[in-house]
This record gives sequence, C-alpha cells and structure tokens, in this order.
Amino acid sequence: MTSRVALPGGLGRGRVTHGASTVSTPRASSAPDAPVREREPEVEERIEPDRPWDVIVWDDPVNLMSYVVFVLRRVFGFSEPVAHKLMLEVHNLGKALVASEPRERAEMYVSQLHGYGLQATMERSS
Amino acid sequence: MSRVFRPHGDGIRAQFEPQEVELLRTLEQGIAQTLERGDDADPVIERLFPTAVAGDEEADTELRRLLRDDLLEARQAGLRALGEILDRARPHRGRLRVDLVDDEPLLVLGVLNDLRLAIGARIGIEHLDREDIPDDDALRYRLAVMDHLGWWQEQLLMLLAHPDDAGSTDEQGDWT
Repeated sequence: MTSRVALPGGLGRGRVTHGASTVSTPRASSAPDAPVREREPEVEERIEPDRPWDVIVWDDPVNLMSYVVFVLRRVFGFSEPVAHKLMLEVHNLGKALVASEPRERAEMYVSQLHGYGLQATMERSS
Repeated sequence: MSRVFRPHGDGIRAQFEPQEVELLRTLEQGIAQTLERGDDADPVIERLFPTAVAGDEEADTELRRLLRDDLLEARQAGLRALGEILDRARPHRGRLRVDLVDDEPLLVLGVLNDLRLAIGARIGIEHLDREDIPDDDALRYRLAVMDHLGWWQEQLLMLLAHPDDAGSTDEQGDWT
C-alpha cells in the first residue's frame, strides 16, 4: 500500500472525508426530460471543495531508478531519503503517491512529471 | 569504455565517439518525425503523452488535450537543442568534443530519457523478457542502445548530483 508523504505547503488542509463519489443532484429531478447524469461535477465541487487530488507515479521498465529520484527531488523538492523511499515504492509496489493537492496544483505536477517522462496520473483522493 | 561526460569548469564536457554522434542524430531524427506525425495509436506517442487522469476517461481526455501542446513543444525544443549541441562538437583525438553549459546537461539528460522511452515503446519493452531474446535478434541491438544511453544518463546524474565528484565507478545502473 502507498503511504502519504508530507509536502511543503500544508497538505490535507480542510480535507473532508466523504464515502460516496457520486452525488445525485436536486437539479436533475426538477427537469424530468433532461438526461440523467451519474455525476454532477459542480455540485460535487460545492459539497467537497477541499477534497484533494492524489498524484501517483507508476512503475515503468525504462526510467532509471536514479533518474526517478532526481526528478522527484527536482519537481517536489524532496530530500534525497524521501525521494529514494518513494522511488523504491514505485519500483517494488508498482506505484507511489507523491502528492495530494488541489486540482490545479496536481495538474501542474502531472504536467511536469510527464515532461520528465515519468508515468504520472492524478485522481480524486478517496 | 571511457566515459562520455566529465566535469569541466562550471559545466560538463562531453566526448563522443563519432559513431555515437551518428547514433544520437539518427535517434533524434526518428523521434522528431514520430512527434511530427503525432499518431495517437503509435506506442511512442502513447508513452510520451501518457494518461493524465486515472479512472475518469473524460477528465483524462480533457487534461491531456490541455497539456499536449506544451509537452510536444518542450520535447521538440529538446531535440532541436541536442542537434545544435552536436553541431558544436569538434574533433579531438579521434573523438568529438563539446562543452555543455548552463542548463544543457539537464536538457541532454531529459532528451536521452525521451530517446530511451521511445525505443522502449517501439520494441514493446513492457512485454519483453530480456532472457528470452535470442542473441542474434535485432531487439538485442535496440536494448543495447537503450542501455548505452542509460549509462550516459547515469554519468550525467552523478555529475548533476555531485558536481565536484568526477564519479569513480563505471558501473551501469539498475532499472526501475
């Protein structure tokens, strides 16, 4: 299992734990002819404004271990031991959670990691 | 085999064998053409522009579209810069020498990674078992090229992490 790593900038601030990821919206019921949507992002956003996005780095057979450490240090400012631990997690477990951030910041990290050639995705924190 | 990258002043000096420069140019042109075509079904394109949002196809498509131009531009700029660095290389005792300054070592590190990712995607490395490949298989050559470029990356990483240390080992690194 992945473990969470503290980032500079106060992680998990105002984070709301919420079980269900789909929210039925009052708006949908007031317009019976409208197609029923499984998800209503706007409403979800309003209910859980602070639920962060997890940034995950995935294992791949090409990137060098030393390169992954280098990139993690450069992008996130991790110390060598932290970056090394995360790299090993990627290597041994197939993936590692490297950040948990508001959407725009998570997108920025994914963009930077892709620039360096790492396989990184983001997803709503569960 | 002597190392390619050594510390030199504030930067790093590269000394390539002539055939290594040819190899880099061939790889660089190949991937530049692949990027130019931009075929989404090409495994190289898939690998260089990977999934951005997990578990939400719609959000993934949207974010990838948002990121793609910058990512493409950065990759193409890196390849062009590598070409210009190689253009500067001058013969010295049978090798081709060029000094990397400012952010060029970092840039070369990234381009070497792109080249290795492209080769890996092209040969379907995800599904390869190195042990099972016959000695005379052409895949062996592609893998050897990847390893060779990986060894260069290790040299650069060593120098970028410890600028004052020339690096005392010639060992090749592990792979994740």
